[in-house]
Amino acid sequence: MIANLATRLQGDPLRARLLLLIGLWLVAIVVMSLLSPYFLQSSTVPYLLQYVPILGLLGLGQTLVILAGGPGIDLSVGAIVSLVGVCVGALISGLGVWPACALGIVLGGLLGLVNGVLVNVLRIPSLIATLATMFVYGGLALASTQGKPMGNFPAEFAWLGQGTTLGLPNAFVFVLLPDAVILHVMLTRTTIGRHIVASGNDDRAAYLSGIDVARVRIGLYVLSGVLAAVGSVISMSWFLSARPDAGTGMELLAVTIAVLGGTHIFGGTGGVPGTIVAILVITTLQIGLQLANISAAWQLGVIGILLVASVASTGAFKAIWGFKR
Amino acid sequence: MEPFLRGAAPAAPRLLSKDLVMAKTNDLRLTSLTATREMILLCAILLVGAAFSFASPYFLTPINLIQTLRAALELAIVSAGMTLVIIMGGIDVSVGGILAVSAIVIGKSYQAGMPPWVVAPIGLGTGAILGAWNGWLTTKFKVPPIIATLGSMYIFSAIMFIVIGGAWISGLPNTLSPLVNGAVFFIPSAALVILFVYGTCWILLRRVPFGRHIYGIGSSEHSAKLVGINVDRTKIITYAILGLLSGFAALLYVARMRNVEINIGTSIALEAIAATILGGTSIRGGVGSLLGTLLGVVFIRIIQNGLVLIGVSSLWETVVIGGLLILVLAVDAIRNRNNLRTQ
Repeated sequence: MIANLATRLQGDPLRARLLLLIGLWLVAIVVMSLLSPYFLQSSTVPYLLQYVPILGLLGLGQTLVILAGGPGIDLSVGAIVSLVGVCVGALISGLGVWPACALGIVLGGLLGLVNGVLVNVLRIPSLIATLATMFVYGGLALASTQGKPMGNFPAEFAWLGQGTTLGLPNAFVFVLLPDAVILHVMLTRTTIGRHIVASGNDDRAAYLSGIDVARVRIGLYVLSGVLAAVGSVISMSWFLSARPDAGTGMELLAVTIAVLGGTHIFGGTGGVPGTIVAILVITTLQIGLQLANISAAWQLGVIGILLVASVASTGAFKAIWGFKR
Repeated sequence: MEPFLRGAAPAAPRLLSKDLVMAKTNDLRLTSLTATREMILLCAILLVGAAFSFASPYFLTPINLIQTLRAALELAIVSAGMTLVIIMGGIDVSVGGILAVSAIVIGKSYQAGMPPWVVAPIGLGTGAILGAWNGWLTTKFKVPPIIATLGSMYIFSAIMFIVIGGAWISGLPNTLSPLVNGAVFFIPSAALVILFVYGTCWILLRRVPFGRHIYGIGSSEHSAKLVGINVDRTKIITYAILGLLSGFAALLYVARMRNVEINIGTSIALEAIAATILGGTSIRGGVGSLLGTLLGVVFIRIIQNGLVLIGVSSLWETVVIGGLLILVLAVDAIRNRNNLRTQ
């Protein structure tokens, strides 16, 4: 029966990864509840879910960009979070909260479009192109505010980031969950989804069968920018301030989440469920280490090891441990 | 077997000479490509320098230029190693972490009362080992270099935070400071150190087989493997060289600052990549020159220094460097595309 299960799992790497991740998550929960008596309480759940939406949106965008191949990657998402936040913060006194947020989301899409054009029209390798835009976007956010955070958000704006429905955070229930479902359906049940996966698997073949690969990929960079902007809105609503360094370091977490979730770094394989469980694993580790009062430095170390381990080829692991079959 | 070989013989030399000619023309084209880039960069440096010396009376003073040179020392050294790695088709975003960990090891060794001739090899060795770790991850585990070094950066900064615990290491001895601040016959020693590092790397890249291997792997890793280059070993050694140079930069950083801050090395990886790309090295590997990188470093540091002198907040630096990087990449991309069309 175990052999049967093993063959079934080998047939579907994504499902195998999903099971592995769920196992990893359970291990993380057990370890964390041993480390801290405060971890295994019902109050931890909304606390944990509070952290999930922002990273979740960035991770979903990153998953799609990487999935469409190229190889694609978007290192500027953290900087987009910062820059959109600063712009919304500046517009808010003139326009009111929600129109400012809408403009911010449009801006996020435009910033993503810049990435998409640099990578897919000018054909600059995505890694270096988005590294450069990360410099520019992040620098603009810091320089235009002189590094000072912006406040003056009205109290009712906190509904999204701080409010709860049925004990669950609104940002999770009304933003992340619907987004994840829509993207999952798009990826598995629609032609666009097929086109994305086909572009990631073999862009030459996809191009020859009539898919406009460049347009698909540009669209995904725009989507990644929009999702980052939505994440920025949630972050502002949570803290009721726009910090110009709000997104610093988030791009690395987003990439970690995407590849940990089973998205192949060169595209073609991957999906939404893996990414979602990967976010839960990462957030559980962060919250758990925080509750156990262990230095934030260890979180960095653990995330680094997870990142490398999740990309390392399994063949190499077998070779290293002398595991041969 | 003998007749078969004899029959095949005439074909072989013809193929070889044709390949040789192709390789030669190719080589010429590549050198002319990087040479024009170096000329453009040199003109840009002179132009920007002239503009800044009009805008600020302090820019062209010897003291400012020497200060700028000293501030460029660490970036120049790390960028030399980064050039080797990028020519090889790799990348390393963890150099800031390597620099930080090496600096901490150096600081702790000093505090333990070790003399500088013991501390220096320890610092260099730490850097080389961390660099080799990156090379090992990318070759043995087949992790793409960007992901491997991102992960390493997390791990290195974790090590740094755990060891240093948010406090500075300060009050370190100044025995090695002459390397940065001294002068030999009125030539600042910082310039001599840069000359030494770039000279060594140039010999490594251009005058010994190892350098050919680096260019070969960058042009086509598969072909490099087929002609018998030990690709894995070359990669690990090259990453280790970058690590070693980062360790050397850490040594000079400690000599210059005499303390180790918590935010050491945060921006150096991005600056080194920017300098290398500005200098004409192709991010796809196989093309690049050390002279271009050195000019790229000078350009970046002059712009940073000039912006501060004319009263622009230093926060704008990253915007300017990032914008320049995008501009150069876009111009390269358009030129490449035109080349492809005319061929």
